[in-house]
Formats: sequence, C-alpha cells, structure tokens
Amino acid sequence: MHTGNKHTLTKQGLFSLSIPLIEVFELTKQFGTLHALKGVNFKVMPGEIYGLLGPNGAGKTTTIRAIIGLIEPSSGCAMIEGVDSAKNPVYVKSKIGYVAEKPTLYESLSARDFLEYVSSIRKLDQTSVNRIITKLGQVFEMANFFDAPIATLSTGMKQKVALIASLVHQPSVLLLDEPLSGLDAKTSRIVKDLLSLHAKKGGAILFCTHIMEVAENICTRIGIIYGGKIVAEGTLDQLKNGSKSETLEEVFLKLTNEENEIADKSRLLGEAFFKDETA
Amino acid sequence: MKLLEAWRNSRLPYKEVVFRSIAEERGRMWWGGFGKGQLGEDSQNDYELTKKALRIAKWDKSLVSIFCVIAAIVPFTAQFFGSPMIGLTSAISLSLAVTFGFIALYAIQTLSSFVSAESCVLLSTLPINQKDFSLVTLFSFVRSVDYIVIGSILSQLIMVIYYTWSPVAVLIMFVACIVNTVLAVAVSLWFSRIFTKNLSSGGRSKKATVLRLFFILMWGSLLMGVSLLISLPYYIVPSLELTLLGSESITYLLFGLFHPFSAGITVANISSPVVADSIVLIGAASLIVYVIVALFAGKWMIKTVKQISTGTDIKIARVTAKNFSIKPRSPLLGYVIKDLKVSSRNPATAFFFALPVLETVIVSFVTVNFEMMRASTLLVSSFMGGIFVLLMPLALLSAEGTGLEFTKTLPLNINKLVISKTLISTLTYVPIPIVLLIMALMKPLTSPTALLIPFFIILSIASASIFEIQLFLSSVTKGKLAALIHDLKKLIIGIAILLLPLVAYSVLYLVSFSHIFAVFIMGCISVLEIVIAFALLKHNKH
Repeated sequence: MHTGNKHTLTKQGLFSLSIPLIEVFELTKQFGTLHALKGVNFKVMPGEIYGLLGPNGAGKTTTIRAIIGLIEPSSGCAMIEGVDSAKNPVYVKSKIGYVAEKPTLYESLSARDFLEYVSSIRKLDQTSVNRIITKLGQVFEMANFFDAPIATLSTGMKQKVALIASLVHQPSVLLLDEPLSGLDAKTSRIVKDLLSLHAKKGGAILFCTHIMEVAENICTRIGIIYGGKIVAEGTLDQLKNGSKSETLEEVFLKLTNEENEIADKSRLLGEAFFKDETA
Repeated sequence: MKLLEAWRNSRLPYKEVVFRSIAEERGRMWWGGFGKGQLGEDSQNDYELTKKALRIAKWDKSLVSIFCVIAAIVPFTAQFFGSPMIGLTSAISLSLAVTFGFIALYAIQTLSSFVSAESCVLLSTLPINQKDFSLVTLFSFVRSVDYIVIGSILSQLIMVIYYTWSPVAVLIMFVACIVNTVLAVAVSLWFSRIFTKNLSSGGRSKKATVLRLFFILMWGSLLMGVSLLISLPYYIVPSLELTLLGSESITYLLFGLFHPFSAGITVANISSPVVADSIVLIGAASLIVYVIVALFAGKWMIKTVKQISTGTDIKIARVTAKNFSIKPRSPLLGYVIKDLKVSSRNPATAFFFALPVLETVIVSFVTVNFEMMRASTLLVSSFMGGIFVLLMPLALLSAEGTGLEFTKTLPLNINKLVISKTLISTLTYVPIPIVLLIMALMKPLTSPTALLIPFFIILSIASASIFEIQLFLSSVTKGKLAALIHDLKKLIIGIAILLLPLVAYSVLYLVSFSHIFAVFIMGCISVLEIVIAFALLKHNKH
C-alpha cells in the first residue's frame, strides 16, 4: 500500500509529479441490482483539466465519490497520487479539494466559522491560510456574507464558500462536480481562470459537468461517461474527428445515443402544446 | 376557499414543516441515506425514509398528546393516592401549568422549522389568493399542536365537570384552557422567532451569543419545571393547597393575579367557595385580563404566521466583515468548537446545554434535604445526573445534519469525531461530582470513600458515550438506517454501562459491608469500561 508520494508545492510554487495525479482503474460499483459503474478507466496527469461529461445518472458523481473514498468500489480502484482511496481515504482527502454538485455545508455556521473548522481539520498554518482566504474572499466578494449564517446565503454564495473551502489547503487535485451551478457570469469566469491557474501550476482537475460549452472552453481532455462506462475519451478535436461531428454537443448526443430520443421527445412536445394545429 | 378545504390543503405545508424539523434536527437520519441520495439505491430509500419520518412524527405527536392528557389529569387525582384533600384550586392551576409547558415545549420542536423553513414555498407558486394562502398557512401552524390541545382541553373539562357539576365553572375552565393554549403557543412562536432571528442576523456579536445562552437556559428551566410538576403532583397539590388556604388573604390575592392561579381560584370557588368573594373577584378580574392578553397574543400570532407565509417576517441584516482572518486550531479542538456552535444554534438541540445547570439543580434539590450524605444518596444522584447526559451524544449527532456529508470529505479520522462528542457529553456531567462534593463538605458523611462514586461515574459516562456513538456509526455502515430513527437500544446500552459500576458497588457493599472494597471494585469496573471503549475505537480503520 502506498503511503503517499513526495510531492506538492516546490519552491517555484509548482506541483512536481510525473505520475498521474488521478487514476481510475476498472472501477465498478454496484448498488443492489443497479450497476452504477461498469469498469471506468481514466487518468489525469499534472496540468490537465479532465472533463467528465455524461447525462444525469451516468455515473459521474459515483465516480467522484469513489475517488474521494466516500464509497468503496465493488471492484477496481481509484487512486490519488498513486494512493488507493479505499485503502487510505484520510491521506487521499488531505490531497484533494472537492466541491459537490449541491454543497452540504453546516448551515448554522457562518462562512468564517466554517472555514475555521475546515482549516482546523486540515491542520493548516494560520498565516498561510489567512493569506489565501483573504485573497479568495476579495476575489469572490465575500465581505458582506462572511459572518452571515450559511443558511441565509444564496445558492451562488454557498457555492463560493464551498469553493474557498476546497482551495484553502492548496490541494494538488481538484474534484469539481458541476462547480459553476448557481454562479453568475462574472464569478463563473473567475472560477474558470482559477482552474486554468491551478492546471498551469501542475495541479490536476477532474471536472464533472453536463454543460458542453463549459467543457469545450476549459477542459484539456474529455471523457464521456454513459451507463457507467467511459464511451469515448480524448481532446476536443480528437472527439470531434472521431465521431465526425462539428460540436461537442453532437459528439455527446451521438455517443450517448440520445439523438433519436430527442427527436421522439420533440415530437411528443409538439403534440402536447400544438395538438389542435397538428390535428 | 372554504374552511374545510383550507384545513385539508394545510396538510401539505404541515407535513413539510414536520419533515424538515425531523430531517434538520435529527441529523442521524443523514448519516447514510440522505447524504448518499445521489447513489441510486439510497435515493430509493429516501422515499421510504420520508414516509417513515412522517409516520414517526404522527406517533410522536400522539404519544406526547397521551402523555399530556395523563399529566393534565394527574393533579386532579391526588385524593385517590392518599392525599388528604382534593385541592381543586391547586389541581386546576397545576394542570393548566403542566399543559402550558407541554404545548410550549412540543410547539418549539416544530415551530422553529415553521419560522425558518420555506415550508409554504410550494403553495405560494400555485394560483391561490393571499387570503386563502394565509389561511392555509395558519391551519398548517395549528396542526402542529392540534392533538395535544384538543386532548388536554377535553380532559381538563371532564375533570372540572366531574368535580363541580357547574356549567359556569366548566365554561370558565374552557375559556381558561383556550387562554392557556394561546399563551403557550405564542410563547413558543416568540421564542422560535427570536432564536431564528438571532441566528439569521449573523455577525460576531457577543450580545447575540449571550441572548442565545439566556434562551437556552430559559428553555431548560421550562423543561425542568414541567418535569418537576409531572413527577411530584401528589406532593405539590396538597402543599400548594395548604399554602393557599393558610396564607394571609394578601398572599392569596397575589396568587390570584397570576396565571394559571387566577383560573384555578375562579373555577374552584364558583362551585364550592372556600375563600372570600373579594379574592374570587380578583381572580376573575385577572382571568379577564389574561383573556384580553390572549386575544392580543392570538392577533400577533395570526399576523406573524401571515408574515412567515409571505416571507416578510424575518429581515436578514448583513454585517460587513472587517477582515477575512480565521484562527485554525488542532483538529480535535476544531471539531469540538464546531460541534458546540452547531448544536447551540439549533433550537431543538440547544437546550441540552442547559443540562449541567438542570442537573446541578436536581442533584442539589435531592441532597439538600438530607441531614447526612449517605452512599445511597451519592449513587442515586450520580445516576440521575448521568441519565440526562446519555442523551447528549445523540443530540450532538443529530445536530450534525447535512453538514456531515461535507465532513466526510475532510481528512478526519472517525475517532476524532467520537472523542469530540464524548468530551462534550462528559463535560456536561462534571458539575454533578463537584456539586456533590460541595454538599458532602457541608454535611456529615457515612463514608468519605463513597465520595469517589460520582467521580468514577465520569469514566462510565465517557465509555457510555463512546459506545453509543460507535453503535450509531456502525449501524449506518451496515445500512440499517431505518433502525436508527428513534432507536432506543443504543440508549439502553448506555444506561447499562452507567448502571454497571453503581450496581456493582451496591451488591459488593451489601455482601462485604465495606465501602472501601465496594468503591475500589466499582472504580476498577469504570476503568475497565473506559479501556474497552478505547479499545473499540482502535478498531476504527479510518
């Protein structure tokens, strides 16, 4: 069992590792009769932003939760910096920053209390954590919300708190499940810049989304997951060329067999709303 | 919208309030099922879990109602249990006081969700006019306490009919019951509103924290008052009646000014006068004043409920942060502080922090009347204090709520979580041995060695807490989530761990007549318990 690799921030502020920061190998997960994952494989190297695209229920969140060590795989493994998440989840969790699709934070705490808690659990140094939080607080314009109970914040503000909490320890790996949901255009842009910076520093990002434009804009490599399997993987151009499509959306719909389904549903919609006309 | 239709429609927002209060305040539901809602099989469980939560809420309400009815009747039955007199004035007053406490305490459990939750959001999107919408919201609010109110009022009226056979007395009792209910619900609504407002306003004000602490203590006192009234009616009713009869008319008059004594004096003396007419008149006049107060309180409640339904009740004031600095602590201290903050900001769990004060009062109350501090007194006091503390780990787990899903993503060893909650629970017990030690210093002791009993129990409390939390955690990982809700088995194990050294002491003393030997073995058992508990923690992988 791995106990951790020598890694992280060098003097130049760059992450230095040549092995995959995220590696998922033949990952399967079964819930009763439901096969949520059927042998998922992919790697994310330092400096990469890997987009995991898939329709609802395809297995994106299950994959991410297996990587964090929140669920035990039925078979296969998920590794962070070469360390198996199922075998050493505490170590893995110390290396990652995670933002859930719907962040479940302690609603009665203020953002300050919450970040204090997170920093305490992560054993962070006061000076360095305050430097990061001050910068991120300014970037995300948190001044008016920093001492308010999280319960009273909007979805977007909660998302910002979750983002800050995922970054306070300067993780080498970011696992983001729809991190832009609820954010306004300006903040979304800032987050995209932030992800690019993280990748430039040599960090790895796993970015789960079903919004094609976002994936097109920021991901260096994309994996399309459908029915618990990665059905295609590559750069944007590779995917477009491979399926002879113009856009990522076309690629996605072709690979997930959803083109015909959409045509059927559009016909049903027409019948529902324009029944008289069609008759 | 017709009243009946509004009543029917109010079921939906009421269910939402009940569900939210259970889901938010009893976080142990979130340990597995809800948190893993996206995982497929667990999302199927969500539906079952929701149905179960609502079923439990119904049972909860029915059981509390039955208990409330019994508590309302008991003061009237003192005569059947050897009391020399019925004491109708005291019985009525006490019965009203008990139901006041019951209704207020139960209402607080659900009203905090009513005040803070968007339970009516779904209705607000439907094409219903504002008047109907407010009516439905009001009814959903009334549903929170319907069984309890109807049950207690009916039982009190039946008792008054039985003892007085006077239509006027029954009518006045009915008015008094309504006044009592309105005041109780108004107090709960006010409390929940202030608490929620206090939390919503944010900021780092010391005043807000002090105010919250004050509320916690107030709530704890209410609970203690109700417990005392329920457990000691046969002692309280006759002595209260004797106090009333034996007092100077001025004292009686003063009693008459306060609710529920004003109602008690008026109703009891209409059928069979035992005091001067002037005093009855004062009682009746006070009752009229309380009717007016209840009318105002009722109007305020309707206004507040309407404001809640339109989302204009609580205004959130934003405080601009002067800086973004934070102060990280060690992981364990960080977790303890988080636990304290989270649970003290939840109205349903906050009152557990009044436990040390309540325990101190109860233990002092038990021991102060004894001329000598006996080992049996120390045993009983230790157990009584400890039994309350055993509720604390469960309350702390409940307070975690959905936030636990986030904690699971942090590099936290599960043992830190267990130790944090064990530390808090054990610390709430610490006042007991200290109070007992102080009491013992003021009184002669049968055996100085016996003073070690409550101190050894600290170890048993810690062991019981560890076992309770571990059992809850292991149940979840085995997927027996449904069994977690209201599962008393864990508590029983906690009680057994607490009782074991106390029983061992008693048995050994009866066999050997040696305090030193009995205390020594008891201490060994307590130490063994804590060693086993820590050994159990070592088995936690992560």
